[in-house]
Amino acid sequence: MGLEIREIKHSFGDLVALDGVSFSAVPGVITGLLGPNGAGKTTLLRIMLGVLSPDSGSVRYDGRSVDDEDRRRWGYMPQERGLWPGMPAGDQVVHFGRLHGLSRSDATRRAKALLEELGLAERWKDRTDKLSGGMQQRLQLATSLVHDPEVIVLDEPFSGLDPVAVVSLSETLRQRARIGCTVLFSSHQLDLVQDLCEDIAMVDRGRTVLLGSVARLRASSGRRQLRLHVEPSNRDWLSAYPRVTVVSDQADDLRLEVPDGVDPLDVLDAARAGGRVDDFGLDLPTLSQLFLAAADRPLDQTVVS
Amino acid sequence: MRSWWQGTRLVAERGLLENVRSTTFKVVTGLLLLMSIAAVTVPQIIGNESTTYTLATNGKAPADVVAALNAAGKSAKFTVKYVSREDAEAVRQAVRNGDANAGLAGDTLYTEERGGGTFPVVVAQAVVSLETSRLLAQAGLSQQQVAALQSVRPPKQVTVGRVTDEGRAGVGFAVGIVLYLALTFGGTAIATAVAMEKSTRISEVLLAILRPSQVLVGTVAAVGTVTLVQLLVLAAPLAVAVQVTDNIGLPPVAAGDIGLAVAWFVLGFVLYAFVFAASAALVDKITEVNTAILPVTMGLVIGYMLAITVVMADPGGGWSVAVSMFPFTAPLAMPIRWAAGEVPIYQLPLAMALTATTGVLLVSVASSIYRRALLITGHRVKLREVLGGRATS
Repeated sequence: MGLEIREIKHSFGDLVALDGVSFSAVPGVITGLLGPNGAGKTTLLRIMLGVLSPDSGSVRYDGRSVDDEDRRRWGYMPQERGLWPGMPAGDQVVHFGRLHGLSRSDATRRAKALLEELGLAERWKDRTDKLSGGMQQRLQLATSLVHDPEVIVLDEPFSGLDPVAVVSLSETLRQRARIGCTVLFSSHQLDLVQDLCEDIAMVDRGRTVLLGSVARLRASSGRRQLRLHVEPSNRDWLSAYPRVTVVSDQADDLRLEVPDGVDPLDVLDAARAGGRVDDFGLDLPTLSQLFLAAADRPLDQTVVS
Repeated sequence: MRSWWQGTRLVAERGLLENVRSTTFKVVTGLLLLMSIAAVTVPQIIGNESTTYTLATNGKAPADVVAALNAAGKSAKFTVKYVSREDAEAVRQAVRNGDANAGLAGDTLYTEERGGGTFPVVVAQAVVSLETSRLLAQAGLSQQQVAALQSVRPPKQVTVGRVTDEGRAGVGFAVGIVLYLALTFGGTAIATAVAMEKSTRISEVLLAILRPSQVLVGTVAAVGTVTLVQLLVLAAPLAVAVQVTDNIGLPPVAAGDIGLAVAWFVLGFVLYAFVFAASAALVDKITEVNTAILPVTMGLVIGYMLAITVVMADPGGGWSVAVSMFPFTAPLAMPIRWAAGEVPIYQLPLAMALTATTGVLLVSVASSIYRRALLITGHRVKLREVLGGRATS
């Protein structure tokens, strides 16, 4: 159930933008469509929203092909601002609510509640171009949420946001997921969003390269790293673990990659026997590291569900 | 299920509100209203203004002459001021120096070399009339008989405009200019709206909710309504004034011509608006909009030039017929040709039908270009990029 993307292909002339991308996004979960710039994320979102038509493949929701009426109930926030500069902020949200099928009174009521939630209630009558960039971002979000969409699609929502705005937007998305919305967003800032996404679909050059739960992908990657601050610089104890490789060894900071089958706690004990350990930690690979590792591999070797 | 019209109406409603709230709309509409009212009232004010003539006389002006001239002045809307001079030479000097429009001394009437209009004739007529009355009384006619003779008036003059008269041709010319300007301004306004929505990425959000034809038709309807309102503000007082008074300097057939011009504006606007919108969708930045719509504005200029050169020179000629029937030039050429009175009645509805049909066909072509071009950003879109590719439903 939820949103299902099946084997979507799309080309612009000779340029293949999407070469059979498939993934799904389920209700109540925040799904990240991740990948570097030019990976085909925006094209895929536009196809999902019916702005572009795919060469082949399908977009399904709750087990059936989506149509225009389904999409009217979705919320979409584009990568760049899509607001009328001279229109008052409140009117803007009400207008989008009505475009999505709400009555004027319902749209006004929802817009007021939403701007209150997003801290823009005081700016209801202000022209949109008089708002700061962050405020316009929140207003854009309000226009995509005003009709209480079942599916929320956001294209690079964190691009250009300051850390406070990132936290605020993340919380809004988590709240929508908690009430059962299907939340899908794209981002090229993989590490920035790794704590927000529960599921990811990672695309590169129009193909899916990594798919599944973020926690499982990171835990099962076999790329755990043990970080140690150990002195003196005696490394003899490492010879007992030939499968453990040194990623970096600078001054007292040692970073080791611990493969599956080796318990990191055993390695830590060995280090403590060799000298005094002031600090330590077990780091799972970042999404960037997972992407770099996966980008050159076929999908079937990296899928973890 | 929400209908196509509902979404289109919302787009149009928003565009209309934004336009009507803008300062530009208020200023332009106010100016147009002032221009229209001025066009109706100024000629009347000027026409009704009472003219004052000065008559110099040898001594005090004779009472019967004063009475006769005052009576004539009442009906012909002029007043007479009298200045007395000591002798005939002084009367002559008064006229020569410009102190009087005419001078009466004995049986001599001094008149200005130029100007004075009909006043000397009126004075001469008054003197002749008085002398005739005196002679008739001497001949034995009673006062009533003399008065009866004096009450004889020339027939009332009524000016009748011919179908092909110069005044009506002037109306056609004016209608052509106004239509050309309205189409250009309206088209530019649409192009600016489309380019703004594309450059601010509003179009992308709208296309995720609405069909391209809804966005396009809604935008055209909003700007078209605003331009039509402004055109009516300009035309309505003139058309009403032509109906209720024959004294504003327009021939009596002009009201029909003005009404027809409004109908042609609607048709011409529908035709050109979608071409303007599709052209504007090719821009990347709003500053490029004038360059993008240049081919369309050039088309309008050529259409207008053909209308005023070919059609005005020979309204009944073969080229004039062609220009006034071809959909892209008909909205400008047909009103001018119609005003010239050279259009067989069947050609008017035929030209209108051809223009309307072309406009409807253009909606689908323009929607297709609009949709494809809106999603191509980062550079100015070439027409072949959007015409050569696949359809995007």
